[in-house]
Amino acid sequence: MQGSTRRMGVMTDVHRRFLQLLMTHGVLEEWDVQRLQKHCYKVHDRTATVEKLEDFINNINSVLESLYIEIKKGVTEDDGRPIYALVNLATTSISKMASDFAENELDLFRKALELIIDSETGFASSTNILNLVDQLKGKKMRKKEAEHVLQKFVQNKWLIEKEGEFTLHGRAILEMEQYIRETYPDAVKVCTICHSLLIQGQSCETCGIRMHLPCVAKYFQSHSELRCPHCKDYWPHEIPEVFDPEKEREASISKSNKRSLRSRQH
Amino acid sequence: MSEQSKDVCDLNFAAEASNSEVHSSPGVPGGPSLPASQAAIFPGPESPPVGPTDAPLASPAPQAPSEEGDPKALQQAAEDGRAHQAPSAAQPGPAPPAPAQLVQKAHELMWYVLVKDQKRMIIWFPDMVKDVIGSYKKWCRSILRRTSLILARVFGLHLRLTSLHTMEFSLVKALEPEELDRVALSNRMPMTGLLLMILSLIYVKGRGARESAVWNVLRILGLRPWKKHSTFGDVRKLITEEFVHQNYLKYQRVPHVEPPEYEFFWGSRASREITKMQIMEFLARVFKKDPQAWPSRYREALEEARALREANPTAHCPRNSVSED
Repeated sequence: MQGSTRRMGVMTDVHRRFLQLLMTHGVLEEWDVQRLQKHCYKVHDRTATVEKLEDFINNINSVLESLYIEIKKGVTEDDGRPIYALVNLATTSISKMASDFAENELDLFRKALELIIDSETGFASSTNILNLVDQLKGKKMRKKEAEHVLQKFVQNKWLIEKEGEFTLHGRAILEMEQYIRETYPDAVKVCTICHSLLIQGQSCETCGIRMHLPCVAKYFQSHSELRCPHCKDYWPHEIPEVFDPEKEREASISKSNKRSLRSRQH
Repeated sequence: MSEQSKDVCDLNFAAEASNSEVHSSPGVPGGPSLPASQAAIFPGPESPPVGPTDAPLASPAPQAPSEEGDPKALQQAAEDGRAHQAPSAAQPGPAPPAPAQLVQKAHELMWYVLVKDQKRMIIWFPDMVKDVIGSYKKWCRSILRRTSLILARVFGLHLRLTSLHTMEFSLVKALEPEELDRVALSNRMPMTGLLLMILSLIYVKGRGARESAVWNVLRILGLRPWKKHSTFGDVRKLITEEFVHQNYLKYQRVPHVEPPEYEFFWGSRASREITKMQIMEFLARVFKKDPQAWPSRYREALEEARALREANPTAHCPRNSVSED
């Protein structure tokens, strides 16, 4: 291609298949992404050395740049797992969901989103969301129906449900961070450590700064004194563990071994 | 070869467009840099389009005499890419958009198609026009062309018109070998297993499977029509609506039966994406039998596999991706 001022990466069939599969799955955890990468090499280029994942992805992103899409890496807020998704940078609305959901369903999501952002814990209760059903745009929705729609959001990985309360899935944060920051600039909370959007996290009771749970884990790994990084007051919360992919893999291998002993159904 | 020259044209067009893209920020259409020659021809945006233009037009002037030159000249001017500096007078036809706007539309369409495919939804041409192309309907063809080009180059996918009759498109993998590698992470895709279970039941019966028979089979997996499942959710809705909506299954009323009963058939998408051999291998694994324990079905599967090989000699046989871990 002539006249391109950007340094363009090279797309091979390995990269193309990777992109196809990443798109198919929507959002993937890091370990699955690595498997995926190896699978693509196996299919198209057995002899080549598998490139380091970060470089591999940067390479692809340099090609995607001109299309205003990107493979974005995020971290789940509750346990610090790295996740990847292909996101569209050009949209400034929740348009990725738009093709899937009706107008009143999208509005329900927006209402839930607002409640989640405004909340102290990052969770909105099912009751509070359902109470807003009368205010939805579009066709009238009953509470029973709204419950079902909320479950659809969970299945499609836009929301997570925990004990009757809802928060944003890591995927939603990845895809919509820009939109959220632009739409709710005053209500939005930000992590002191990584400066990204914060929905769930811990906060200092004295000065009010907030940190993601995985950011807390990482910070206190290198700081032995449990003090707030900002006001130095005592940090009163339980310090979570840093996410360790190795431990995770061992756990899932033993789980799948157990599963394969029973009849394989999937 | 004519095809090659078309590709070259496309590449040039793409290159030219990507040049003008450099100057426009994401999400903001227009404001492209005009090729230098045209910028010289047209005076700035404020110049009133009264009378025939002084400067020569880049393309051959219309045959109309100069008195009628106004509207024609306006149209010519617009067609030469001055969409954003549209004259204040009303134009007889719509101003063609700047290349950068067409490029942006192509990107929007690309994303739209990818998301539809991700959700296993039908890509319907009228939806494409309504949701994405909108007022650029006249330039639909060039937008589609560019989108197809990008999808092929970056994703290795063909945007193919699968049915002119229903105006449906689908994204087809353009890479060899063809594999069901959405099942590459099979232990994370429980839906596939559920679907395969039903499809294989239908296949083994050789005709439609009554809903009662399907539930008998699903009962083995602990699934009931009235119970919500932790992974599948509302199973009945999933198989009678979602899978049907995605064209993996057909759900039809059995004729002449009272009280009403329904049966399942393979959907068109299942027939396209899943081979009979894959079904046989699935059955073999689930029932721990040799696929030849269903002799006539196995024969059918072999015949289909042979026909596929003959139709597509460059692809090697799909690996048993259902069992791939």
